[in-house]
Amino acid sequence: MAARAESTPAVPAWQRGKVASWLVTTDHKRIGLIYIVSSGVFFAAAGVMALLMRTQLATPNAGVVTRDSYNELMTIHGTAMVFLFAMPLIAGIGNYLVPLMIGARDMAFPRLNALSVWLYLLGGAVMMLSFLAQGGAAKAGWTAYPPLSLDLGTGQDLWILSLHLVGISTLFGAINFIVTIHNLRAPGMTWTRMPLFVWSMDVFAWLLVAVLPTLSAGLTLLLLDRQAGTHFFDPSGGGSPLLWQHAFWFFGHPEVYILILPAMGIISEVLPVFARKPIFGYKAIAFSSVAIGFFSMLVWAHHMFTVGLPNVLNVYFMIASMIIAVPTGMKIFNWLATLWRGNLHFDAPMLYALGFLSIFTMGGLTGIFLAAFPVDWQLHDSYFVVAHFHYTIFGGVVFGLLAGLHYWWPKLFGRLLDERLGKASFWLMFAGFHLTFLPQHFLGQLGMPRRVYTYGEGGLWEGYNMASTVGSYVMGLGVLVVLVNMAKTSRSGRRAGNDPWQANTLEWYTTSPPPEHNFDSLPPVTSPRPLYDLRRKLKEADAV
Amino acid sequence: MRRPPALTACAVALLALAATGAALAGNGGIAPVEPRSPNAAGIRDSYWLILAVVLVIFVVVEGLLVSFLIRFRRGRRQRFEDGAQLHGNSSLEVLWTAIPVVILFAVVAFVFVKLPGIRNVPSADAAAGRLDVTVSAHRYYWQFEYPNGAVAVDTLRAPVGQPVRLTVTAPDDDVIHSWWIPALGGKIDAIPGQTNSTWFTVDRPGVYKGRCAELCGLLHADMLAWVEAVPKAEFDAWLEREAAAQRAGTSQLGEQTYTGVCAKCHGLAGGGDIGPRLDGSAAVSDPAGVEKIVREGRNAMPAVGAAWSDSQMQALTGYVKERFGSGG
Repeated sequence: MAARAESTPAVPAWQRGKVASWLVTTDHKRIGLIYIVSSGVFFAAAGVMALLMRTQLATPNAGVVTRDSYNELMTIHGTAMVFLFAMPLIAGIGNYLVPLMIGARDMAFPRLNALSVWLYLLGGAVMMLSFLAQGGAAKAGWTAYPPLSLDLGTGQDLWILSLHLVGISTLFGAINFIVTIHNLRAPGMTWTRMPLFVWSMDVFAWLLVAVLPTLSAGLTLLLLDRQAGTHFFDPSGGGSPLLWQHAFWFFGHPEVYILILPAMGIISEVLPVFARKPIFGYKAIAFSSVAIGFFSMLVWAHHMFTVGLPNVLNVYFMIASMIIAVPTGMKIFNWLATLWRGNLHFDAPMLYALGFLSIFTMGGLTGIFLAAFPVDWQLHDSYFVVAHFHYTIFGGVVFGLLAGLHYWWPKLFGRLLDERLGKASFWLMFAGFHLTFLPQHFLGQLGMPRRVYTYGEGGLWEGYNMASTVGSYVMGLGVLVVLVNMAKTSRSGRRAGNDPWQANTLEWYTTSPPPEHNFDSLPPVTSPRPLYDLRRKLKEADAV
Repeated sequence: MRRPPALTACAVALLALAATGAALAGNGGIAPVEPRSPNAAGIRDSYWLILAVVLVIFVVVEGLLVSFLIRFRRGRRQRFEDGAQLHGNSSLEVLWTAIPVVILFAVVAFVFVKLPGIRNVPSADAAAGRLDVTVSAHRYYWQFEYPNGAVAVDTLRAPVGQPVRLTVTAPDDDVIHSWWIPALGGKIDAIPGQTNSTWFTVDRPGVYKGRCAELCGLLHADMLAWVEAVPKAEFDAWLEREAAAQRAGTSQLGEQTYTGVCAKCHGLAGGGDIGPRLDGSAAVSDPAGVEKIVREGRNAMPAVGAAWSDSQMQALTGYVKERFGSGG
């Protein structure tokens, strides 16, 4: 074994310190944790921005924040939730778990992985510090439509810089996931034996590679328009504001699937474990992920139904957007069938997964209204749309990710979360969520546009807005309970052991938390549930 | 199974909320506001159909979910006892792929049937004739121009029963806005360098309020619009009178322009807000100076009146001089 000892040089003394070892780490689990913790910090920051906005909107003609600050909060809330919270949290969970779930030693490119996480943190710092820029942070919304985004202060330039940094980070991460998943799977793990979460991460990564460069190109042109005197998007110089909208939404619509697919993957892992059943329709679910990924690139202009596109395009984008509901429905029905005749346990991960299922269904259904373009002409850019996408992005993505965090927490830290706090946090979030976002559908129908810093007195607007604000506080409380649970059990929680849920996939075969090299040995993989197979074999051996 | 208290509380709260809403306003936001124009009615019909379809799917899916949760809960079984080891069913997969396709096809077909009535602008040679109005969106006001040259700010007066075609645009140096009067149909964006069109035929007199629906900057929330529908004969007489008054400089256009354009930053009483105080300022007594600022902008103030006619400019400069000028 002398040769092996030589090939792994000793770690220099300065890298062994408590802080330094994290700064220089290339271990996918540590990088995953840096992603998870940082995304949590950005979630808290962007969540506080949301609460400030809701406080401003609780009553008509309020002056809690200024008009200017409102637009900054609204812009950075949206951008940060997408780019600094949801995507990095997915990257973090993926980083930690994909190698474990496919029985690998690490990601394919550990150093590139470290570069990804630090670029992301740099981009996040630029975004948050842009509030201190002259003229404040960006105020043109997370969609940054020119010409509005052309003539605002330096905050907009920092916003572009931040998204470029995060974009490069994300692209590196995506390439890393693809190479890892395609090359480093354990012996026996064919494509049809791969965990469904890994399937969803593969589609996630391919989609990013396909569409993120379009956003980066658009951002570069926007920067040139702002700083180099070009007129790509500036109508006063013959440019086209709609060109940006096409570039943005060609990325932006797949982006929502980039976020939701991994959450769906988590649901496909959690439901079978807490129903004590195999997933129903494994191949159908894997295939529907690929189908959703593909179709998501063909529907972008349903965000542009009001810009005056030719009728034929509106018709095409309506039909394409409706088609995407089919593979999505397929998933929902397969998940329902997974529950059928199961032995259902309502632990916190399961509650969050079921919350996902019930809420995401509603978010999907309100999408049908928006896909029908004449109806969208009425609902577009109103609070109905705000409600719709929070049903998919908060009720879907966030509930899905919380299911995943509660499910894998014992693997990450070796301790179980407190079940009572877990359940309490779920019910607070679930009730608060509906109270916040259900009335927003009604507000949109009654004519409230999105992105307004205030509204006049009278009518139902006041009651619905107040209900929405109260709901947002309840949700905030739910988030606090989650954090308390995590903090409290990190010291005093019950020890988890390798496999507290008696789950199906390889990550539960190793210790909690896993050693740096992940596995000493691997069980044979002959189905999507190697651990289930292993337990059965052991039971049969016992019986003999 | 014991119902978790939070679930009950939540359900009660939501029901109460929905019920109060519905009771207060006829529909309370369950559907788009009461349509007062055929295109808005077409949209609402499509909305109702989709709502019906969606509610059925909602009840089926959530009903199955809840019933499975009750029926297949663990109960007295061992924690890790296996459920039924079912891996899938091809016929079911085909079924729940095909049924949604059929439903969505039906929805699309219904929308197609309704589409001409929503989208197509009534032709100009129809019996009632057609009124063509140009709508120009600015930060942060709407300017309307009638065929006879009369202009209006923020409030568009329109005849009942006559189709009104709107040509919607924004100046090259402005930003994107979106025209939206919920009772009179859907949105259409006002995009610099591009003209879009939409229409309405108001079916009864009244004032219909709308708001700019595309983020346009600081005062996006204050960019309101009203359509004031009056009987056709009354409208025709008013339009003639108004055009003549604007040519003669005797109209209320100055006040209307101040209220719609200037007051949003300088205050209705000229006391200043985002923009400086006008009341008592010496500058307002110099029409040429005011015109220069309004046409070209200054500091943070955009060139709000770059494209105004001389008569609108004179109306405004005259109005602010008379109202706020120290000598006035």
